[in-house]
Amino acid sequence: MKHLLINIDGQPVAVAARIVSWFLVALLAAAMFSFAFSQLQYGWEWSAIWQYRQKFLQGWMMTVIISAAALVASLVIGLLTALARRSSFLPLRYAALLYVETIRGTPLLVQILILFYVVANAFGVENRYVVGIMTLSLFAGAYLAEMIRSGIESIRDSQLESARAIGLTRVQTYRYIIFPQVARQLIPPLTGQFASIIKDSSLLSIIAVSEFTLNAQEVNAFTYSTLESYLPLAVGYLLLTLPISLISRTLERRFHFAT
Amino acid sequence: MRLRGAILLMTFATVLAFTGSATAVEPVKPLIVGMELAYPPFEMTDKAGKPSGVSVEIATELAKSLGRPVVIQNTAFDGLIPALKTGKVDLVISSMTATAERAKSIDFSDPYLSTGLCLLLKKDSSAKNITDLDKAEVKIAVKKGTTGHIYATTRLKKAQILVLDKESAAVLEVSQGKADAFIYDQMSTYQNWQRNKATTKVILEPFQRESWAVGIRKGNETLKNSVNAFIKEFRAKGGFDQLGDRYLKEMKDEFKRLGYPFFL
Repeated sequence: MKHLLINIDGQPVAVAARIVSWFLVALLAAAMFSFAFSQLQYGWEWSAIWQYRQKFLQGWMMTVIISAAALVASLVIGLLTALARRSSFLPLRYAALLYVETIRGTPLLVQILILFYVVANAFGVENRYVVGIMTLSLFAGAYLAEMIRSGIESIRDSQLESARAIGLTRVQTYRYIIFPQVARQLIPPLTGQFASIIKDSSLLSIIAVSEFTLNAQEVNAFTYSTLESYLPLAVGYLLLTLPISLISRTLERRFHFAT
Repeated sequence: MRLRGAILLMTFATVLAFTGSATAVEPVKPLIVGMELAYPPFEMTDKAGKPSGVSVEIATELAKSLGRPVVIQNTAFDGLIPALKTGKVDLVISSMTATAERAKSIDFSDPYLSTGLCLLLKKDSSAKNITDLDKAEVKIAVKKGTTGHIYATTRLKKAQILVLDKESAAVLEVSQGKADAFIYDQMSTYQNWQRNKATTKVILEPFQRESWAVGIRKGNETLKNSVNAFIKEFRAKGGFDQLGDRYLKEMKDEFKRLGYPFFL
């Protein structure tokens, strides 16, 4: 009985134990939810939102597109900023520092409003989807830059000295010594940041970007079925973030070489 | 030992008796009225942050006639009907139009005000009426959950609809030229135009007439009858006229000059 519930760190978990323990946790969660919902005097009306399933799907697709684009762009921005922070050209270093501190120190909501209604307006950029993706990328890029920079700086000096001793150039050092180790270290925080981008994209609804959250809110406005609109919303976001956690765990296992 | 037990028992019994009698006298339940305090001059906050406006006055008078203290619950407009359905508020007095669709979820009182949907246009728009705007390259701003939103999505199939949370964001979109028009009620459209004369223009002829009513949860017949009785009485003794003079004097005169009917 004990081996079904207890697992000492490091030992592989038996399938039977996995099933039993997950079942108990699921049971507890289900009990809590059914208690919470039984306390509501709520008339459930799923037929109303089934009519609007097309809207949900379109919004979900738009969130996927926006998140994917922001993912790629923010990785590029983060990488470049991390390198700029370590640059020997001082104005570049300070520009990067200013960017990181400003973005990390202000709320995303404020950034979306200012970048769309003030900055984009000044530069004449009309397309709100493009501005939305750029805002998300700049936001996540600042956080990624700091993660990448801390990864780079965690490589011990002895390795850098050895690299210099065998005659590797700066670029070669980055390519063969620093980045493989940094990449491995970065996988957990990186995937965390990616999941965060997916969820933060919901804030773009305030500039009328027709993504998942706005579509669910519109359906709620038409049908007055609040819970029936927002529960699929939660499930939809989970469908996007859970695969990222799974990929993260697979990658971590693959790169688990001894250092 | 037995004496201590006896004293304990007596104290316990006394406390029970007094709490029993305390609940026998029920305190008067406040009347919780939901509204979105972002709609001057009907629902707004004064400089001290207290709710004020035409709807707040109506709510206060109504609560007085029912003999209950009033509590104003500031809720986002598209959250008002869910709040009413789940019992978080007892009434909705928020310049809400009575529509057949909404009447499936909640009950409405008799209407207390007539108005209509109008257009706030960007400065260089060439549209003369609502049908001019039903084209693929036209962007129409609406506020989420309002009758303008419903009209745009059901009747304007070709235009692009921009759904925004706040009236101020929608007005900003029009004045910056990002949206061609904003569909909203007549009075607010007039006010928004006044505040943005340089960047917007208006068509104040309503293309859809509407009337505002008080929202009541379904099944609450007694409350509905009391509200209807109050509205009739309040109008008879000139209450609505007084509110119109106090809050809407300028608009009333301007509308009279332009020849639009004003019903409060």
